[in-house]
Amino acid sequence: MFKRTSIVNKIHVTDVSLNSVFEIGDSWSIKPRANALAVQREFERFYGDEGDFDAYPIFTMPLPKALINEHINFTRVNDSSSIYVNKIDITSVSASGVLLIGSTKVIDAESRVKHIRQLQGDPNSDIGPSNNVNAKA
Amino acid sequence: MNFTVVNKQVCVDNVRIIGVTSSSVFLVGDTDSISLSSVFDTPPESLIIGPFVPLSRS
Repeated sequence: MFKRTSIVNKIHVTDVSLNSVFEIGDSWSIKPRANALAVQREFERFYGDEGDFDAYPIFTMPLPKALINEHINFTRVNDSSSIYVNKIDITSVSASGVLLIGSTKVIDAESRVKHIRQLQGDPNSDIGPSNNVNAKA
Repeated sequence: MNFTVVNKQVCVDNVRIIGVTSSSVFLVGDTDSISLSSVFDTPPESLIIGPFVPLSRS
């Protein structure tokens, strides 16, 4: 079996970030991992060294994987030797995203995002914080 | 199980994508296996109201 060649005439990518991959060419395996704490604050105050991934189980918990026990006789017949794309325009590849022009064996990507929102609340109000949220919503 | 795929000619003119994000794949080519996981956590406890306390540092 001969491999297929990917032909792309023109590609424009604006942004590749947070452990993403943009690869031109063949590879064996691509396994990007991205962990992120997405913090939103009512006021602009951010220290550069904040956050500890170990404090949140979401970053360490094992993820369920699809197990394929059945044996599959896989036959691939490539009638055409190439895949042709004229033009690709991508704004952003982010958080373990994979953009590959070429062939590989395994792609195994994982991204974990923990959202935290911090609001100041109303110091003059005597209603509880949760009621306060409803009043704002 | 026998599984046969016949790849005929593929010819695409124009692709426009805003975002390939959170363990997504855009592939022009072949692969044997793809496994993608994305975990996104926004529980009610993640909404913190009150005096500002910085996040714990590692």
